[in-house]
Amino acid sequence: MTATLVVIGHGMVGHRLVDTLRELDRDRRWRVVVLGEEREPAYDRVRLSAYLGGRSRAELSLVAFEFLADPRIEVRSGTPAVHVDRRARTVRTADGNVLPYDALVLATGSRPFVPPVPGRELDNCFVQRTLEDTDALRAAVRPGRPAVVVGGGLLGLEAAQGLQLLGMRPHLVEAAPHLMPTQLDAEAAHVLQHGANRLGLHLHCGTTVTAVNAGSHGAVRSVTLGDGTVLDTDLVVFAAGVRPRDDLPVAPALRLGDRGGYLTDALCRTSDDRVWAVGECAAVLGRCHGLVAPGYRMAQSVARQLTGRPSEPLDAMDTSTELKLLGVHVATFGSTSDEDGSAVEMTFRESVSRYAKVFLRRDTGALLGGILAGETGSRTDLAARVGRPPAADLERVLFPDPSF
Amino acid sequence: MSHILVLGHGPATHRLLRGLRRHGHDGTVTVLSAEYRPVQHRPLLTTVLQGRLEADMLRPEPEPGARVLTGAVATAVDTARRVVHARQGDTVTAHPYDVLVLACGARPVIPPLPGTSDRTGRLAPGVTTLREVTDCDRIQGTAVTVLGGGPLGVETASALALRGTVTTLVCSGPHPLHERLGDTGAALLTARLREAGVDVLGGRRAVRREPGRLLLDDGTEAAADSLVLCTGVEPEVRLARAAGIRVHHGIVVDDALCTSDSRVHAIGDCAEHAGRTVAGHESALAQADTLAAVLTGREVAHRLTPAVLRLRTHVVDVACIGPLAAFRRSGIRTVGLFDPAGRRYARLALDGDRIAAAVLLGLPDAIATVSHLHRRGLPVPSDRLGLLLGIRSHFPPAEDDDRTDSMVCLCNHVSRRQLAGAWELGARTVPALVRATRATTGCGSCIERVETLCAGWTDAAGRELEPTP
Repeated sequence: MTATLVVIGHGMVGHRLVDTLRELDRDRRWRVVVLGEEREPAYDRVRLSAYLGGRSRAELSLVAFEFLADPRIEVRSGTPAVHVDRRARTVRTADGNVLPYDALVLATGSRPFVPPVPGRELDNCFVQRTLEDTDALRAAVRPGRPAVVVGGGLLGLEAAQGLQLLGMRPHLVEAAPHLMPTQLDAEAAHVLQHGANRLGLHLHCGTTVTAVNAGSHGAVRSVTLGDGTVLDTDLVVFAAGVRPRDDLPVAPALRLGDRGGYLTDALCRTSDDRVWAVGECAAVLGRCHGLVAPGYRMAQSVARQLTGRPSEPLDAMDTSTELKLLGVHVATFGSTSDEDGSAVEMTFRESVSRYAKVFLRRDTGALLGGILAGETGSRTDLAARVGRPPAADLERVLFPDPSF
Repeated sequence: MSHILVLGHGPATHRLLRGLRRHGHDGTVTVLSAEYRPVQHRPLLTTVLQGRLEADMLRPEPEPGARVLTGAVATAVDTARRVVHARQGDTVTAHPYDVLVLACGARPVIPPLPGTSDRTGRLAPGVTTLREVTDCDRIQGTAVTVLGGGPLGVETASALALRGTVTTLVCSGPHPLHERLGDTGAALLTARLREAGVDVLGGRRAVRREPGRLLLDDGTEAAADSLVLCTGVEPEVRLARAAGIRVHHGIVVDDALCTSDSRVHAIGDCAEHAGRTVAGHESALAQADTLAAVLTGREVAHRLTPAVLRLRTHVVDVACIGPLAAFRRSGIRTVGLFDPAGRRYARLALDGDRIAAAVLLGLPDAIATVSHLHRRGLPVPSDRLGLLLGIRSHFPPAEDDDRTDSMVCLCNHVSRRQLAGAWELGARTVPALVRATRATTGCGSCIERVETLCAGWTDAAGRELEPTP
């Protein structure tokens, strides 16, 4: 006797869940229908900047042949869900089909946040969330011409770097006083900014775009910044963060987190015991996670639950990041404070080339976590030391070799 | 035999007289002191203010061998005739010299603030600077406002709060000592001052003083039965300038503390050496020491003493060591520590493994260690955290026997037993033990214990080899 699982959303996390379930469901208990809004089955969204740079769709695809060939799995791409009836336990799709479910997973992801500035609907204003978005952006690229990227977080930096590699002259506008304000402190961002300047990126931190101005053909011509500066530009990319997609009509409605997202417990269960939420649309214990690693942990957890396996609660989500951007390596690991919310911070800086900050417990001196920027010791080495007092020669671990 | 004439009778002069005597100066010395009171140890003024010290105790023992003319105000220096003209009461006097030492000090800067001084430029009742012991008596009433966020302002305000006065500290920067301590450190200082009862009003300027209150530019006011102006000092250069001696900010001196006139020297707060004036009390005393050596025929060049600021306040230990500019120099490595809950802060500028500059707050042990390493130009231990948080071994001495084990090197987790094992395996000297175990290579505080252990084992081994009687 098989049961039906409907997964709404065929992004990275939804796909990982189904793929894991295929592996774990040795009793062949589940039949799965995956509804994808996009025409393309799951692909590596994290590498969209590589796609902008010329990589093919096939290279980004996450879907193996065996997956599509698995008789237990039915992938319906280009078929968004439009309504969920929790009492009848059915999902209605845009093409009018009604699918009954025994279990439902919401993996709707998030959508780009576009700040409400006048002119944001003009031609040549872009976001970069999907392959189609990226196709449109790439078609507008004009080497040698200026571009404006709104948002100095991870997405904005990747977009700016991508446009730079395609020969444009990007300006980047960040409202916070420094780049990557959620992950980095001012000094780590300073190392990154140094890298950005070296690559010829024009940074405008601590200001916002107040208007997007049209040229004679109705397309973008310039943007106006908070301080009155006008930047000429051929195109604008909004990369000012994302918001969870929690607006699918569900009757009766599910509880949402205070800052949006489907509210779940530490096991990704919504208030309905047949409905889970995973990935960026899930507010696990009230908090949404925009990185793929926590999303994969959620997918793993739900796949285990569906196959009757025990699963660890996801109360302490690792928000570590590690990336190389603008020629600068930046990483974070562990946490920034202990349970009391206090910590001792120790910082090490070598001009603008490298910087490290570690957080230590006040009572025991044990390493809690840290921020790394530039040519520092590896994040993995340091993350392995979390929970113990750091070695006496901590500085040599953070800055392994003399830099010249 | 030469006759030395000194203008000014502050701590630098006192130190100079002592140095001359020690070096066996065989000429005569005359001091013209504009005041009638003897020399004072000015850095302790705020301690008097707290009520912890009697004013009399500020007076060091008078130096024998010098003639001190009190109430003698120098009016002109004639460098051509080598004579100083002075006024002593109604009498005009002339004082010839072979060598002249200008130690005129500095005078407080009075801000152009309405209500602080009368038409003749004298400070109004209820307004004072803090330069002399008698100034302490001018601070009256239950509520006092201190204007100025420099070291003296902070020291004065915390001393007043300690003695129970309702105290407000007004400064134009966001926090007191903001330029020296930076955002984080200065914010911690403000927090500590507030805990000690000082109402700190940062980012505000005084616009007018009225009896009993000081009006500020944001429309608020501070209660001020007395107003203490701690708004900086400027070198006293008027005599020198009138005499045609080269003056920049202060009286310009070379490494022999000699002015543009080869027979005239200058020391202390009035002097400008290597482009720097008013470098602080320690620096003034160091100049006096150098000059005493120069005047007794020794060839000494005055070495720029490291600028060290140690705040004299019970509120929190604060030290600024070395030039702030070092933090911005290329090739400098910066190490920082911030403990918001413990209100502790440190920032070190390291040039290789030497300290180029440091800012420390709330870390008395680290201040002592870092000052020492900086003054001696010694390398800092690789355990920066141990250095700053003062991790030390607290083992009782002479309890070593083989049955018990204990941690010797906390930094590298080396126990006594491990060291003994290494010794057995042939590491019979301290360097060999260090190589074998890495003990002492962290904060370095266990070196004495490793030496003691090593010596003890060596002795014991020696005894065993002796033939038993």
